[in-house]
Amino acid sequence: MRKYIFKRVIISLITIWVLATIVFILVRLMPGDPFSSDKMTPEIKANIESYYGFDKPLIEQYFTYMKNIVKGDFGYSMKYVNQSVNKIIADSFPYSFDLGMRALSLSISLGLTFGIIAALYRGRHLDYVCVIIAIIGTSVPDFIIGALLQYFFGIKWGLFPVAQYQGIKHTILPSIALGFYTMAMVSRLMRASMLEVVQQDYIKTAKSKGISKFRITYKHQIRNAIMPVVTVLGPTVASVLTGTFVIESIYAIPGMGKYYVQSVQNLDYSLILGMTIFYGAFLVLANMIVDILYGVIDPRIRVSGR
Amino acid sequence: MLKLKKVISMFLAIAMCLGMAACSTPGQNQEPAKPADAAAAAPAETAPDRKVLRYSLTADAPTLDPQLMNSIPSSTVGFHIYEGLMRNHVGEIQPGMAESYEISEDGKTYTFHLRDAKWSDGVQIKAQDYEYAIRRLVDPATASDYSFLVTSLIKNAGDINAGKMAVEELGVKAVDDKTLTIELNNPTGYFLSMLSMSQLCPVRQDLVEKYGKDFSADADKNVYSGPFIVKEWKHEDRIILEKNPNYWNADAIKLDEVDILTVADPMTAVAMFEQGELDQVNVPAEVLENYKDKVIYYNDGANDFMKLNMDGSSELSNKDLRLAINYALNREDYILLSSQNLYQPNTRYVLPQVKGINGDYGDDYPYEAFPLKGDAAKAKEHLAKAMEALGVTDPASIDIELLTTDAERTRIEAEVLQNQIQTALGITVTIRQVPYKQRLQMESDHEFEMVVTGWVPDYPDPMSYLELWPTGSPYNHGSYSSEVYDGYIKDALTNTDPVKRMEALFNAEKTLLEDGGIVPLQLRRNAMLLSPKVQGFETYFVGINYDYLYADIVE
Repeated sequence: MRKYIFKRVIISLITIWVLATIVFILVRLMPGDPFSSDKMTPEIKANIESYYGFDKPLIEQYFTYMKNIVKGDFGYSMKYVNQSVNKIIADSFPYSFDLGMRALSLSISLGLTFGIIAALYRGRHLDYVCVIIAIIGTSVPDFIIGALLQYFFGIKWGLFPVAQYQGIKHTILPSIALGFYTMAMVSRLMRASMLEVVQQDYIKTAKSKGISKFRITYKHQIRNAIMPVVTVLGPTVASVLTGTFVIESIYAIPGMGKYYVQSVQNLDYSLILGMTIFYGAFLVLANMIVDILYGVIDPRIRVSGR
Repeated sequence: MLKLKKVISMFLAIAMCLGMAACSTPGQNQEPAKPADAAAAAPAETAPDRKVLRYSLTADAPTLDPQLMNSIPSSTVGFHIYEGLMRNHVGEIQPGMAESYEISEDGKTYTFHLRDAKWSDGVQIKAQDYEYAIRRLVDPATASDYSFLVTSLIKNAGDINAGKMAVEELGVKAVDDKTLTIELNNPTGYFLSMLSMSQLCPVRQDLVEKYGKDFSADADKNVYSGPFIVKEWKHEDRIILEKNPNYWNADAIKLDEVDILTVADPMTAVAMFEQGELDQVNVPAEVLENYKDKVIYYNDGANDFMKLNMDGSSELSNKDLRLAINYALNREDYILLSSQNLYQPNTRYVLPQVKGINGDYGDDYPYEAFPLKGDAAKAKEHLAKAMEALGVTDPASIDIELLTTDAERTRIEAEVLQNQIQTALGITVTIRQVPYKQRLQMESDHEFEMVVTGWVPDYPDPMSYLELWPTGSPYNHGSYSSEVYDGYIKDALTNTDPVKRMEALFNAEKTLLEDGGIVPLQLRRNAMLLSPKVQGFETYFVGINYDYLYADIVE
């Protein structure tokens, strides 16, 4: 197990290095540059470029950047000129993470429950209710759900604050809006997986052995059906926790997602790079945890992984 | 591993239970949220009798470092926390840190006498703080994009900024703690009005050196000279300003606090205004209809027009073709279709609201270069001449690319323009949409035929618009070149008679438009909702959007 994790860490580091290199090249290939503005003159642009070291050869800039990354220094934003990228991430990530954790705990628990209920009551009313909720969740985009929740619960009925992120009450609407899609996805996946598992021989065996229905469902069916859900959770967790532009915009939450999208629009090279690497590292970490979890849930994978 | 199995199955069981319970209170099983709780404490302490003004920005102020500011949201905050030598209060020049000033006979040397005043940390404000700040703005090592404000204005600033001269040579000198002289290249009537811009406001050398790149990055990493101080700055969330008790004119300031919230979605901001969480909000064009009777319109100085490339690479080098396009457009229809009449149709170049001689420039020199509804006959006439000169028989063979930004609003604008020009003239217009930053670069590289662009003024004088088009100007992306125009601009730069100077500027504007040097389109307007309890909230169109210096809250 230890050797396996060690190997995974090495692969992960290489992945992040490749990611950083590719993004470093790609941002430079994007048309336009961070310093273009209506009022820019060639002399002033030259001053700014030399300030950021853009007058040096690209390969030298690359090595400087890589050296700084190893030291954990992502440099300063080119739009928010006094803010270091490290500081921006440190300021904004806690909001995204907090919101994401709420959304995830809501969506995973509800999603699993709906999926299991739907599968157990297949073809009956309860199944249809769960399936309809899942279809709405996967087909209606989050900006519609976010805006509708805001309009009805915030403006029309005044039950919750319209926006901002200042207390438990403020977190409820954005958590639901953000988690809705994941909940629907998890419940659909869980339902399909449960129905597949129920036809397996070991379930029949368990039934013929006379094990109680509850015990079969709990011990055999759910345990085996949850694998596909765990698989998709890795990337989902990473993307939900690092923030989403739409929900953060609608509810005026100072999270990472908004910075990320704006950094691309502004061609803020250092912020794009820093955020991408951070997101990439997070994704790699989440996937690694999922891989380790596999082994825990299904010992067969652990054996082959050795 | 057996233990882990148990943990997993327990987790599943808990997850299922939570599924039932979590419906109404998500996240209650979580650790208490740090950012959420920390923020909850802040607004609660607002005492009921404090006068608090609340408004929102769509994006956080990129910086509050005065010399590095390059956006209206930043400089609007800067206007209220930093004190220039003079104050430009919605066009009226008032004394700022300078108690009095003298101007030399040739109009080029200004001597300012500073009043007795303190920074927010109690340290005396000195002439040296201004000297240091303006040097810092011009210094190439600072790499400020707004150094262009003074590079052609203050003596030696251009050479210093280009790295050809030491920064000590700048024509800004602190004679003693209370006296500052500034030498200009030309007599510049509008210079006093520029002095309230944040970029020319003082900073403290000891703090700039102490914090380095992090100077002004947070509320406590700077000190303030203006009516307000930054009490709290949570990035992308809120800037809280508080009345500065050390401000020299603190008695005139009635607000205790200003809350500037970042709300990215304009519809959310409107909703917050409706809920009483904001005192001022701009209404987006899409829902303007619902608020028609309640909004207050104001110009923000932005003037949108099309730049035409006249460097010989496209048919637009032909003057008649340029005039044909200008006459072909029905700008009233254009405004209705593209902005639901939020913006104003415009057929001149200089913003009419800038200062003229007796009053506003637009009142002193009324002018309409082309009819607002267009003139089909004149358009055809010019087109015929253009086709003859270009040796073209079928107008459709004239193919012009219209470059614009890839936003939804600019797409609609471009489609209306394309439709109007194609219908009226029969020439072909192809739309090309690119990201904003790419458009800017293509403009400055002269890589376009016709581009929808705009300009906001940096000082309330026609020159702020007209300085774009002299031959060789760095902003002259269309390669417009006219000896007549250049002559008028040169005259305006050196003439000390304000009336003759203004006439030269008006003649320059007329020359540019009669040459079809640009295609004027619209003046941007905002429609704002303002809470009735707010008084004295002013809007302005140069450098800042809002001026709430003397605003008050009346319950």
